[in-house]
Amino acid sequence: MTSPEISPPPAAGAGRPAAGTGRTAAGPGTATAAPGTGTGTGTGTGTGTALALLVSAALAAAACLAAVYAADESARTAVAWGGGAAGVVLCVAVTVAARAVLTGRRLRAALAAGNARAAERERAETYFADAVVPAVVDRLRRGGSAETALAEAPAAASETQRRVLVTLAREVHKGENMRAAAMSACANAAGRVQALATGMAADLREMEHRHADEDVLADLLHLDHRTAQAGRIADSIAVLTGARSGRRWAKPIVMESILRGAMGRISGYQRVRLHSASEVAIAGHAAEGVMHALAELMDNAANFSPPTSEVHVYVEEVAAGVVITIEDGGLVMGEVALRRAQQAVSAEHNDLSTLSGTRLGLAVVGRLARKHGLSVSFRPSAHGGTGVLVRVPRELVTEPRRPESGAPAPAAAAPATSRGLLSAAPGTPPAGTHTRQPEPSTSGGPAPGHDGNESARTGEHESARTGEHEAARTGEHEAARTGEYATAAPPPQEFGASGLPKRRRGQTLAAVARASASRPSATGSSPDATGQSAALDRDRDPAAARTKRPSGTRFGDFRRAVQGAAPSDENATESGEETPASGATGRHATAPGAPSPARSSPFSEDDTE
Amino acid sequence: MTRPGRDEDPDRLYTVTGGRSRSVAGADTFDLVTLVVSESAPVRGMQSEHAAILRICRFPTAVVELASDLGLPVSVVRILLGDLLAQGKITARHPRRAQTADALPDPDILKQVLVGLRNI
Repeated sequence: MTSPEISPPPAAGAGRPAAGTGRTAAGPGTATAAPGTGTGTGTGTGTGTALALLVSAALAAAACLAAVYAADESARTAVAWGGGAAGVVLCVAVTVAARAVLTGRRLRAALAAGNARAAERERAETYFADAVVPAVVDRLRRGGSAETALAEAPAAASETQRRVLVTLAREVHKGENMRAAAMSACANAAGRVQALATGMAADLREMEHRHADEDVLADLLHLDHRTAQAGRIADSIAVLTGARSGRRWAKPIVMESILRGAMGRISGYQRVRLHSASEVAIAGHAAEGVMHALAELMDNAANFSPPTSEVHVYVEEVAAGVVITIEDGGLVMGEVALRRAQQAVSAEHNDLSTLSGTRLGLAVVGRLARKHGLSVSFRPSAHGGTGVLVRVPRELVTEPRRPESGAPAPAAAAPATSRGLLSAAPGTPPAGTHTRQPEPSTSGGPAPGHDGNESARTGEHESARTGEHEAARTGEHEAARTGEYATAAPPPQEFGASGLPKRRRGQTLAAVARASASRPSATGSSPDATGQSAALDRDRDPAAARTKRPSGTRFGDFRRAVQGAAPSDENATESGEETPASGATGRHATAPGAPSPARSSPFSEDDTE
Repeated sequence: MTRPGRDEDPDRLYTVTGGRSRSVAGADTFDLVTLVVSESAPVRGMQSEHAAILRICRFPTAVVELASDLGLPVSVVRILLGDLLAQGKITARHPRRAQTADALPDPDILKQVLVGLRNI
């Protein structure tokens, strides 16, 4: 029997492409592949079966004819009938077998495709849950709208997922909007109350000055105290809602004022005892935050200790800054309570969900500590209660503003002067601060190649600065120059907390630029440098300096104001060239109309014209 | 427009006086023109206003001048001065004009003396 052996291969050959087509169709996407697979396998089965039937019928017919032809005349009919029947049976059998084989193959393929689809779907769902949803929620939390978040999210694998995602995004967005609105409303309200409290405190201060009657003063002080407490609550809410914190002080605040400002904001301020001989000050931008944090801690200490006990505050200057210790004689905090307080103060997370309505203090301290880099730690106190250590970092500690540096308002200068006099002990080093230390590099320091000219330039500026005794020596012109330059000389330049030079009120930018240009000579010159430069200056012709300086400053101011940092280099080269050629410049100066020698600075050119 | 209280100090007056509104020395010890003289130098750890008063009052200074120098209300300065007076760190000198006016003899008596002298 050859035909059954022959017939399966074509059938298998017909079936395989069909299954293959189905499998490749299942590849790209589960959803779209499903119908394709079904039809592909179905037609494959049909054609395969038909092909098998055809081939087997043809073979059977051929075998039958051959048999009939080969048989004897007498047996031919029987052979034909037998062969025909056998052929028919064979065809039926082959067809049935082929169909069964093909159907089995089709079902296996469908099963495999179904499994693959299921796995694919599971993977898509995992991806959806683990990546898509968190990404969308994160985008919404960062303030995107629902549409933005959906657009940025990877495409959903199915319609159901897409709908889930849309609903989720809308809900989260709504929740986020409500949270933001509540926060901003709180912050806004807190800001208004802050402004009111600040204004009221100023009013009360005025009234306290106006009314000398002791009874009235007592009432005013009482109101003042209440206002300060209300202001602290508003500050706390502002800090928690992320609004700007309270007021900013324009000057460094001495430690005594910091401590008194802090204790003035709590109800039991009369129980607070300050033990501070520290003369440091806190930089103005951080003073309010430090004060507020200390006030909250003092309030805690006063609230959790018996009403008769005192709260002691100590200040200690250490290498890393200033440590303020607040000790109460109240309840001893247990291990757990200490740990919890420590956690509340140092918590990194930024949400308000852990807040209980009544205990805002430590959360506020934590926020402020993070903002200003304070470190707060709790420990049992020697007084029997709890001690809190607050370390103010070195960057925020500075010297109190000296009266020489000139407070802009004379009215405010009086208390500042007295306090400055007190706290500025004669022994304290004048330049011992970091925030107010002027940096020579801010003058757009000269390039390394100009190092040789540095002394000459220093000498030039130094001569302008130490011009007073030279005036007596070099005569009338020199005196006139010195006078003019002295009046034009800016007061000592101030540097802000950021280290950038500050323009004083009523002063032009050009004056600031000049001040910063002459700054290296002021800071970088030690006494012997002064002497050396004075000697150097003595060698030079005074008239040369005279012609150059006034016109030079006038023109140079403009240039500097326009061009920025470039002139400092130019200035250095110019003065460096000038030192050897001072005689030539002197001639040029005494006879302005005469043709000048080859060398001339842009300034003296301007002078000639 | 200046912001209110921009240039003042953060410490409130009730913290300066420790919550008191009355001088321990009594209301009439210091009037506006009472001259105050410090008797000792300021010591470290003192309240800054006390130290400032002692510093300013090395030479006799009137209460009103002190108040102006410190930028504090007179009533607050009185309280601070009362503290210092109680500690013996300052002395108060009252202007003598009223007392000298009282101590002068009556003009009528003077006239009578004059008349008596002329009659001699």
